[in-house]
Amino acid sequence: MGETILKMQGIQKYFSGVHALKSVNFDLRAGEVHALMGENGAGKSTLIKVLCGIHKRDGGTVEYFGENVEFDNISKSQAAGISVIHQELNMMNHLTVAQNMFIGREFKKNGFIDDKAMEREAQKMFDKMGVKIDPSVKLGDLTVGKQQMVEITKAVSRDCKLLVLDEPTAALTLPEVEELFKIMRDMKAKGIGMIYISHRMDEINRISDRVTVMRDGEYVGTVNTAEVTKDDIVKMMVGRVIMGEQKAASNCPCDAPILLDVQHLNAGKEVKDVSFTLRKGEILGFAGLMGAGRTEVARALYGADHRQSGDIYLNGKKVKIKTPEQAVKHGICYLSEDRKRFGLMLDKSVTDNSAIASVDDYVTAGIINDGKMRDESEKANTKLRTKTPSMEQLLKNLSGGNQQKVIIARWLMKNSDIFIFDEPTRGIDVGAKSEIYHLMEELVSQGKSIIMISSELPEVLRMSDRIIVMCEGRKTGELDISEATQENIMQLATMREEN
Amino acid sequence: MSNKNPLLKKSAGSSSKQNIVIILAAIALFAIFYLINNNFASSGNVLNMTKSFVPYAILALGVTFVIATGGIDLSIGTVCIGSAVLAGAICRTGVSAEDGTLWLTIPIILVSGLVFGLLNGVLVAKCKLAPFIATLGTMLVSRGVTAVISEAIRETSSAVKYPPTGWFQKVFTNLNGFPIGLVWVLVLTIICAVVMYKTKVGRYILAIGSNEEAARLSGINVDKYKITAYAISGLFAGMAALFYVAANPSLNIASGNGMELDAVASVYIGGTSTTGGSASIIGTILGSMILVIIRNGLNLALSSGSVVSATNITYAVTGVIVVGAVMLDVLKKKSAAKVKIDSIPAKKEESKS
Repeated sequence: MGETILKMQGIQKYFSGVHALKSVNFDLRAGEVHALMGENGAGKSTLIKVLCGIHKRDGGTVEYFGENVEFDNISKSQAAGISVIHQELNMMNHLTVAQNMFIGREFKKNGFIDDKAMEREAQKMFDKMGVKIDPSVKLGDLTVGKQQMVEITKAVSRDCKLLVLDEPTAALTLPEVEELFKIMRDMKAKGIGMIYISHRMDEINRISDRVTVMRDGEYVGTVNTAEVTKDDIVKMMVGRVIMGEQKAASNCPCDAPILLDVQHLNAGKEVKDVSFTLRKGEILGFAGLMGAGRTEVARALYGADHRQSGDIYLNGKKVKIKTPEQAVKHGICYLSEDRKRFGLMLDKSVTDNSAIASVDDYVTAGIINDGKMRDESEKANTKLRTKTPSMEQLLKNLSGGNQQKVIIARWLMKNSDIFIFDEPTRGIDVGAKSEIYHLMEELVSQGKSIIMISSELPEVLRMSDRIIVMCEGRKTGELDISEATQENIMQLATMREEN
Repeated sequence: MSNKNPLLKKSAGSSSKQNIVIILAAIALFAIFYLINNNFASSGNVLNMTKSFVPYAILALGVTFVIATGGIDLSIGTVCIGSAVLAGAICRTGVSAEDGTLWLTIPIILVSGLVFGLLNGVLVAKCKLAPFIATLGTMLVSRGVTAVISEAIRETSSAVKYPPTGWFQKVFTNLNGFPIGLVWVLVLTIICAVVMYKTKVGRYILAIGSNEEAARLSGINVDKYKITAYAISGLFAGMAALFYVAANPSLNIASGNGMELDAVASVYIGGTSTTGGSASIIGTILGSMILVIIRNGLNLALSSGSVVSATNITYAVTGVIVVGAVMLDVLKKKSAAKVKIDSIPAKKEESKS
């Protein structure tokens, strides 16, 4: 193992009041694969973004080849030899492989772009890497795995000294993973340092030299991969419970009537034969890693996405839900993980946002009674303790927690029975989090039922009466809260089909 | 009572500044054109201006609903003229009020406009075509199809004739010297304002323009309300045709070329957001008013032996105004975004301490 090429110490980062990185340490040696692990939201991506200049750090030092650095933007860090292969590739599918590789530094002949020369150069590089890719085909025609190889080759061609791979295997087939690992070993031999972000334990064991674990924006520790077991790493990742104790036993009596029964749901590639039930007054937690298909289950159930098959029974009666409109009519509501995109009308008022699902209730003879609508919105938001200067305030001026409350108010006003909360506390600060939890508890005490999708295990364990664990689109387990632990949920969440 | 009606108050409030600017600009232009050519303020010319103002204003009112969804309707100009040509041919209207069945043109024109509007709505909402493409297609189709049918019926491509005087004018343009068209515009403006701000249709249209996905997930039947918006636009294009033929009784398919662009320009000048979500009905009316003043004023100012064409100057001036108005909108949004960024470091300090 070579010299230390990167040393990050005491890195701090704040996002509008949220402490995203709390004194994080990380170092990387030449020719090393250093895995960076942690649950979703642990701060891995933020750390990488601080490194490559997308975010400015609020504290701490970054030493790169012995020099103190602070990159202002990606092109500066790229010039210094840092390349990031993102989970979602940012390339131009309509250009050829060679055009993509040399974008911004095209070869020219007589003032015109020389495609042939770029293709020859790309071919040379692919040969050196031992990858079989035709540089003259359109990038979009390649598999995701091959596209990734193109990105890596491009990075290497830029004289990269530090390569960050952010969940590179998420979309790869097994043989493609093998090819990737072979290339990674070649790069190790060349002395390139690699930061490897992945949730897949077995891969970490195979490819990495050291593992650094992060949790809730904090640095937990760094260990040599050879000296620890998979369980040790899982323990480091889940750690202590931060938001109150785990619920001891289900609050929902087991003879409570079954409200919702979903049978053999199939939707796209993300949802494979998922069945589950929801009782009246129950909080049903959905646990799993990112990409496990939990959001897709919710969207398919809600009619937001098309589903290939699957039956939905409400109170034992089969119902037809093909659009969100029908779902809402049946008393189901969905609070999206991505509030900005799927929930909020940012340039509209608190009243408009709260009442949009229940406009019908305020119409007499075709005319909307705005006064009554405003009063009801105010009532609902007061009950939720939404902090807003007025009901006319535009939603974009509210904090994340209050925006979430406005959306909860929307469905309270609609008097929904089944609340699907998708990451209910994402992007919400700690104080508002516990308020959201209390609201959810209040809802079930009023006889409402909740499906809660969450990537935060402590949240799942604190809130749920029963937990369904998913992995790669399949339901891999169902646990009563009394038998659930962070460890056995993690086991189920990483139960891949190939293992 | 004033705070009991937040939406009406707010939507009026946010664009009221722009409305005042437009009104002041209109008064200034009126004065300038009057000084250049005293005929500009003559009662004859004012009546003339109202005649050309009315159809444009009605087109613009209708298309405001489409623009509020975040869409655009380029077909309204040809749908308007095409419907008039079609109805004139079917009812065999002529210069004399006794020719053909004049009254029958009214339902035919309205239905024709509505049908083309529904077509646009289905193409955009159900077939998921980009509004620009869908309505560009309808623009060409409506122009071609109505002209062909008309030629086939009349066995000539000469201008379609409506009676230049008679009850049609009394109802739509000139009631014994009174510009009755303005009353119609007033009535339609009130109806549009009520529909936009006080009914479910308007509320949902604005919600779709603000965030279509959020509207859909809130249980709104987005397709239905998008189709409704395009249908309103088409129906109003038909209505505009009634006022157009009353003022221009001899017309062919090429008449009023580019009307749709003037109407859309009026909407943007009036302060309706180009990306949808907020709409100003009053602004749309004021926007059409200012365009008519400019068009007519330049025409009179340059009529006395000028070598340059007033029409072409009008195009250039209109273009500058539209770009200017929309640029104002963009700058306004930009400065709003800036305020937001500025407020973040303040919060940062809080959590650090």
